[in-house]
Amino acid sequence: MGKFKRTYEEINEKIARKEAVIMTAEEVIALKEEQGIEEATKMVDVVTTGTFGPMCSSGAFINLGHSDPLIRMQKVWLNDVMAYAGLAAVDIYLGATQLSESERSDYGGGHVIEEFIRGKEIRLKAVSSGTDCYPAREVEAIISKETVNQAFMVNPRNTYQNYNVAVNQSAKTIYTYMGILLPELGNASFSTSGQLSPLINDPDLRTIGIGTRIFIGGTEGYVIWEGTQYSPKAMPVLEKDMVARMGASLALIGDLKKMNPDFIQAAYISGYGVTLYVGIGIPIPILDEDIMRTASIRNEEIYTEILDYSCPHPDKPSLGWVNYAELRSGQIDIKGKKIPTSSISSYAKARTIAHTLKEWIEKGEYFLQEPIEFFPSQRELHRLKTTRVY
Amino acid sequence: MIKKKAILRFDSTTVEKPVTYYLIKKYDLWINILQARFEPSLGGKLVIELRGEKKQLDQAFAYLKEQNIRVDFLEEEISWDKLKCNHCGACVSICPVGALKMNRETYYLEFNYQDCVVCGYCTDACPVQAIEIIF
Ligand code: SF4
Ligand code: SF4
Repeated sequence: MGKFKRTYEEINEKIARKEAVIMTAEEVIALKEEQGIEEATKMVDVVTTGTFGPMCSSGAFINLGHSDPLIRMQKVWLNDVMAYAGLAAVDIYLGATQLSESERSDYGGGHVIEEFIRGKEIRLKAVSSGTDCYPAREVEAIISKETVNQAFMVNPRNTYQNYNVAVNQSAKTIYTYMGILLPELGNASFSTSGQLSPLINDPDLRTIGIGTRIFIGGTEGYVIWEGTQYSPKAMPVLEKDMVARMGASLALIGDLKKMNPDFIQAAYISGYGVTLYVGIGIPIPILDEDIMRTASIRNEEIYTEILDYSCPHPDKPSLGWVNYAELRSGQIDIKGKKIPTSSISSYAKARTIAHTLKEWIEKGEYFLQEPIEFFPSQRELHRLKTTRVY
Repeated sequence: MIKKKAILRFDSTTVEKPVTYYLIKKYDLWINILQARFEPSLGGKLVIELRGEKKQLDQAFAYLKEQNIRVDFLEEEISWDKLKCNHCGACVSICPVGALKMNRETYYLEFNYQDCVVCGYCTDACPVQAIEIIF
């Protein structure tokens, strides 16, 4: 038992012959229950995952093309949203959470990115102090994905492994990045797609590293680095005799011009600000039984911690642990009280992403890439040592 | 400026009156006809949206009453943009009457309009502005 092994080469050869067996991380659960781990491992080559949630650490590099006369852009706005221009003359980075400088506080970088993907025209304004070789001081233009050169999304932190549940024990409603939290434990908000979540299906990142080919925003992309604040932890869930895997994240890249608005959506979270829903899917090669064991994990087995968001400090008080089956049921129990739950990520979209990725692989259009480098199993998280805060 | 949505009901005695002309001309209202159904000489109904200053609107409704035209106001209602909705469910736990429910099979949002009390909480809770109050 436990000897069965499969390589990336074998999987890709089967994909090329359109013989590979692909299942989503949801479908494989039933198979494992019917056939057992050993058989399921032999039967399935790849398990596909998906997630569609607000991911603030997202944005895009765009090369706008040179004007005549030339300008070395020092400050750039797209639809009144400032982009970072401290790069070469006409290269910019547009961040998802940057807010518009016009009166609209509910419009920002995420909306510009969504409109760009939709092929809409975008107003560009750029200013410069002018140099001998770049004399122009101000330009205005209408750009779109047809007019610019390269445009690629580079997201420093996406696909959080397992996010906590947010509640509010205080007496007033609070507006957070986890949505509206009603007072006195009036509701609970969670985000992770649970049994479909990429980094929960391969919690040790045995098959995910630099170079892993992924689904991002409806097109192919790659893992380029460990995500910012990457700090994987296995936390004991007392009483349940379980371990919760949390803290891993990924930095990702993908071609913005090829993305599909079904899988990228701008958001304005009331009282918090602008962000971007990013759809991501990662295929997990079933190399052995251990990978099948984690890839077939069920919501009942995945735990996350309930934290009180009325506390403004990084170490928020814990109110215990719940699993994703409880969270998805619509209510959870905290201190004997039944609390309605909301998800801010879309399970329906996560499902669609896992299915789309499955179809791509089945059609023989998408191959699995073995990582070039793996990420460390531990990484200490530093806190900012402030000299002044107010 | 305020906005009202109303159904104007005409009978055989009132159907010939150039009501919209008067509403625009005399009371300086902005009128949008949402639906019109008439049987010549029998009567009919007109669903309209009226915009204007409160005083003018009040006077306009007094005028309609004088003319024997029955006016039923349409209350505010909620509009849910199914195409924009990504079915996250952020609105579900915010709704005080359980009008927004997550289907636990499909994981699509289901909106039960009958239960909705138009409190508007969900319009704030929706991260992609898929729910709006309309009049
Ligand atoms: S308006 Fe209020 S009652 Fe109606 S669906 Fe939204 S939250 Fe529920
Ligand atoms: S919060 Fe908005 S996007 Fe999410 S399910 Fe409700 S209506 Fe749809």
